[in-house]
Amino acid sequence: MMRRLANIALLLVAVAFCYGLQVSKPHYGDLIGPIPARGKPGDTVVGRGFEIHAEKIEFARKLTVDQYGQTKILTTGGVWAVVTAEFAARAQSTVVSVASWRGPTGLTYDQTERLSFMNGLLPVALDPGLPRKARLIFELRPDEVSNATLLVSEKLVAALDSQAEISLGPVTTAADGLPTGTVDMLDMAQPL
Amino acid sequence: MLENAGSRLKAWAIAGIGTAAAIAVAGVLGAFGARHEPLPVLAPSSRIDTGEWQIRPLKAYVSAEKYVYGALLKPGGKALVLELEMTNRTARSTKDYFDLLQVGQATIDPATKPFIALVRDSTMSPELHPGMPERMAYIWQLPDGAAASASLELTVIRKTYKPRDNLYGLPGWFNPAPIGTMTIPVGAGPDAPDMQP
Amino acid sequence: MTAEVLDQENRDGERKWRRRSLWSLLLLIPLALAVEAYDSVKALLGNNDLFARRVVWGQSAQFGGSDWKLTDLRGAFGMSNLPPDSVPVLADFQVKIGDPNLQNLWLGCKIVLIDKDGRRWSPTSIVSLKATGNVQTCISAIFSGAKSGDTLNLRETFLVPKEATKSIRPAVSVASERPHFLLFQLEKD
Repeated sequence: MMRRLANIALLLVAVAFCYGLQVSKPHYGDLIGPIPARGKPGDTVVGRGFEIHAEKIEFARKLTVDQYGQTKILTTGGVWAVVTAEFAARAQSTVVSVASWRGPTGLTYDQTERLSFMNGLLPVALDPGLPRKARLIFELRPDEVSNATLLVSEKLVAALDSQAEISLGPVTTAADGLPTGTVDMLDMAQPL
Repeated sequence: MLENAGSRLKAWAIAGIGTAAAIAVAGVLGAFGARHEPLPVLAPSSRIDTGEWQIRPLKAYVSAEKYVYGALLKPGGKALVLELEMTNRTARSTKDYFDLLQVGQATIDPATKPFIALVRDSTMSPELHPGMPERMAYIWQLPDGAAASASLELTVIRKTYKPRDNLYGLPGWFNPAPIGTMTIPVGAGPDAPDMQP
Repeated sequence: MTAEVLDQENRDGERKWRRRSLWSLLLLIPLALAVEAYDSVKALLGNNDLFARRVVWGQSAQFGGSDWKLTDLRGAFGMSNLPPDSVPVLADFQVKIGDPNLQNLWLGCKIVLIDKDGRRWSPTSIVSLKATGNVQTCISAIFSGAKSGDTLNLRETFLVPKEATKSIRPAVSVASERPHFLLFQLEKD
């Protein structure tokens, strides 16, 4: 009798164990996902192939850019966020080409494609020993600005490679719903 | 012998009843009717949810300008322009809007691929960002000498979200399927007012 | 022969085979791992430049079916609009084509500079210097239709920090020769 009870208990334990294994099994997408290298603005975040140091973050209602010698004003339905960052290659030349802004609710904003003609944006080619600055420009919903994470990687599919994840921390909101310190106009023709 | 025939008969009867019941249930669940139902007609000025996008048609017109929102037309050519408000309903920036609208055969050859531009600054097919409505223009080049029709017939295509696809185990939007058709009046020019819901 | 003896013999035979099987695992498990890993190891070796073949200054080396010779490595000083403390470096090669099947043999052709710490610089697109005469890059040479016996002049431009210019050496690799690559020595070495 004791023996039979013990067997049943063992069987139940085995079932529970197998169920736990099944539930906790990571999905393929998680297994081959990017490997995070975490940091804060001001830190130098070190990945496998590159380093990034986010220097400043600015918010603006409009951007001015030079296009073929003409000044163009870019408006947005939300708010512009401009991150200035310094990039460096590690052991070999590389290209950092992808950045996105993940808001507090998980909405992910890629870099804007409306300034593709401008210099100083990603993709940025890096050589060892020669750090370079670049701008990351996003169009955001104002409610996705605070407590966001900046995600930067070399390639679009950063499978099993480093992705810098920079926690940007809280941003206060002014009366007009935009982040505090939002300027009306930001000139992108200014050198970095 | 008799006994044997009786049990066989019983087995046949049970199998027959089971099959009939299965067919009846499938019929009730709509397995036979769904395919042939005509597509619903959508109100042209309504907000339409296509899964990835929420769209609201604003106006349609024929333009003979050289550039329509940055799209260069063939010299002397005309273009049919549809302006609409599009909102990305997904969790990340995307430009998966090339198969969103299908033009009816009567208006334009369906093989004609439209230019898709952001009205705000004429950027060609930019990514649109989550939860930020933008005014977009679909621009179909009309064949030379084609008479402008009075209305634009569209089929709206939706897609379905899968948290994991079968190939990579990654999330995505799949299985395009039409949700309905709509007819939008074609105005004279770009100055026409937007349609109101 | 009694049944007991037979039984005993059977048991001995069983035990012997059991032991043999266990010992064979020692061989079979590593063998299975090796067979499984073969393709991965091949891909790893085929994608990386691991083993350097040093080429003395002024000599040429047979590589990817052709004869490679480094003719010059020099800095192009005095250019404006460059990042601070950086120097454009030009590497010139003379290649005598042997096997003209460059599209297969030179596939994935990479010319890099390697310094004493193992850092690698790929050709840059920031600097573009006008070349005189018939000068090509490694990739453009693949599609040049060069025939056997032709001599090609190849040039790649790099951007290197000043502190590294003393120890950089040019290296050449192609997919058909990986994991081996050529590491060219300079006159002063």
